[in-house]
Amino acid sequence: MTDATERMPPAGEIVLSLRKVCKQFGAVSALTDVDLDVHAGEVVALVGDNGAGKSTLVKVLAGVHTPTSGTVTFGGRQVTLNGPNDALSLGIATVFQDLALCENLDVVANIYLGEELGPFALDEVAMEVRTWQLLGELSARIPSVREPIASLSGGQRQTVAIARALLRDPKLIMLDEPTAALGVAQTAEVLNLIERVRDKGLGVIMISHNMEDVRAVADRIVVLRLGRNNGIFYPDSSNEELVSAITGASDNAVSRRHERRHVQRPNSGGGTS
Amino acid sequence: MTGNAESRPTALDRADSRVRHDAGMSGAVRGFIDRIRSGDLGSLPVVVGLVVICTVFQSLNPVFLSSRNLVDLLFDSSTVGVISLGIVSILIVGEIDLSVGSVSGLASAIIGVLWVNTGWPVGLAIVVALVAGCVIGLIYSALFNRLGMPSFVSTLAGLLAALGLQLYLLGATGSINLPYDSPLVDLGQNWIMPHLVAYALVLLAGIGIFITGSRRAAQRRAAGLTPPAIAGILARAAAFVVVVEFVVWYLNQDRGVPWMFGLFVGLVVGMDYALTRTKWGRSMLAVGGNREAARRAGINVRRIYQSAFALCATLAALGGVLSAARLASASQQAGTGDVNLNAIAAAVIGGTSLFGGRGSAYSALLGIVVIQAIASGLTLLDLSSSLRYMITGGVLAIAVIVDSLARRSRVSHGRA
Repeated sequence: MTDATERMPPAGEIVLSLRKVCKQFGAVSALTDVDLDVHAGEVVALVGDNGAGKSTLVKVLAGVHTPTSGTVTFGGRQVTLNGPNDALSLGIATVFQDLALCENLDVVANIYLGEELGPFALDEVAMEVRTWQLLGELSARIPSVREPIASLSGGQRQTVAIARALLRDPKLIMLDEPTAALGVAQTAEVLNLIERVRDKGLGVIMISHNMEDVRAVADRIVVLRLGRNNGIFYPDSSNEELVSAITGASDNAVSRRHERRHVQRPNSGGGTS
Repeated sequence: MTGNAESRPTALDRADSRVRHDAGMSGAVRGFIDRIRSGDLGSLPVVVGLVVICTVFQSLNPVFLSSRNLVDLLFDSSTVGVISLGIVSILIVGEIDLSVGSVSGLASAIIGVLWVNTGWPVGLAIVVALVAGCVIGLIYSALFNRLGMPSFVSTLAGLLAALGLQLYLLGATGSINLPYDSPLVDLGQNWIMPHLVAYALVLLAGIGIFITGSRRAAQRRAAGLTPPAIAGILARAAAFVVVVEFVVWYLNQDRGVPWMFGLFVGLVVGMDYALTRTKWGRSMLAVGGNREAARRAGINVRRIYQSAFALCATLAALGGVLSAARLASASQQAGTGDVNLNAIAAAVIGGTSLFGGRGSAYSALLGIVVIQAIASGLTLLDLSSSLRYMITGGVLAIAVIVDSLARRSRVSHGRA
């Protein structure tokens, strides 16, 4: 194919790589031998049907669940994530689907929640300045950082949640359904935001059910099905391929062959470089 | 000053042209009206309520606004006010403590038994009473955190248990008189700030308001944020000094400002600092606003609940000690009746939300003055306690209705 060179892994080095990660809840295998690589400056979309294991995978990376087996390598070192704080201190930030913002607090308070400067005499000025900087880096348009979150729109709240994730200077940011429940304009804003985060050189993992959004920003699309890798696709893959990989509706020789070809491509590309 | 501001590059927080920035006096008024319309009532209902209450009672009985009555009112406010301050802390995290009355009664019983009957030093007896309160709060938090018991139920059970313990401690006699010549009773009944000290403290507070305000303005200017106008800070500090000095002067026409009230105000100021300027206070508001978000932000939510329950019960015990001092006795009636409800009502009337996440220490101060003004006015009218209960109940209902309506309006105006 003509675009083989374009399919090389992005210039950035590998931030995160999972090898043969399994997670079992009793008799249920939520994840089986899952492999995943994320490079710096790359947006990886994680797609799959309900129950495919996306959220479990995110929770494993966020330190909420510990994997039953398999290795997680982050920044070249093999790591174990025993709790949310392990993940945070390594530089893995997560923006959860429900954003987890306190509506009664203002933007500054939310961004610095749990990280306040000056525990016995809050340094409001320094926190406000840094907040404006973070929002500026994201070219975010928040009218006032001293208004409670309740007065912001869905897209603005997503912005605040992402800015909050960026506060600790993470190397990898995971977004769970960042565009669910957003309007057209807000969705576009959030997608722009994701691109800006990528351009800052961060690795981005994005979970979404919306194929349009996925195609719009993702550099690679990793499909999970029933807790297993079910192919790696690119934004220009046809919808049919993608949907059949997600649903398994055409789980036959043709789709498997397709899948093999796509999986092999990045490896061969990496070999030539 | 404006010329200076224009010559600078746009301040960080003024970059968005969509937002109207209210500046100057007219801007302040406009912002105030906006806030009220959207349901961010702040202390407005209290001020309106106080004016109505004063007008009504003053027209019914001219003694109401006399210096003498107001000084008594401040004495009475301090005891339940301290309890109400604890209620503020527990309401902020979105929980409730219904047993503060019993815990305060238990504390006064401990004072009576240990100090008068057993002969312990009064200081030690007070410490034991406060520790007992703290332990009760820790039990509630353990039931809440470990067993998931709703605070409504656990503290209702605690209400009965603490009341039972109070009756058990007091034994058959049922009432212990505290010695009149002791410093504790002195504090509760007639220890008054020297007039000059009261004036000086108010002046110092005014200067403090101005200095912290202007220092904050300087920091913001240095950081490239728009500072609040110095003139506004000065005006606020001056208004504070003038109004409060007038009140002090009026109180000084009779005895003056009770030290016990000074203690209460000191606690309020300390609590306000803790709630607004420390990480702990921020965490309290976060837990009350969105518990799950606070947990994910790495806040130890259980510890926050624990601190809120313990603080509430400890302040309830302190309120019990003060009311024992006020009444010069530890009796079976201490902490019963309307103490519970008055403390909760004061916090809510003052503007602390029953739904968690909103509130300030000053609401205890404002609310208890309203509650005590009603109680005092009704007492002056010589109304029976049956009517007093009904009227106070009605006022509490109105306060909660105002809170609910304001909350609904805040939601629809996006202010939560």
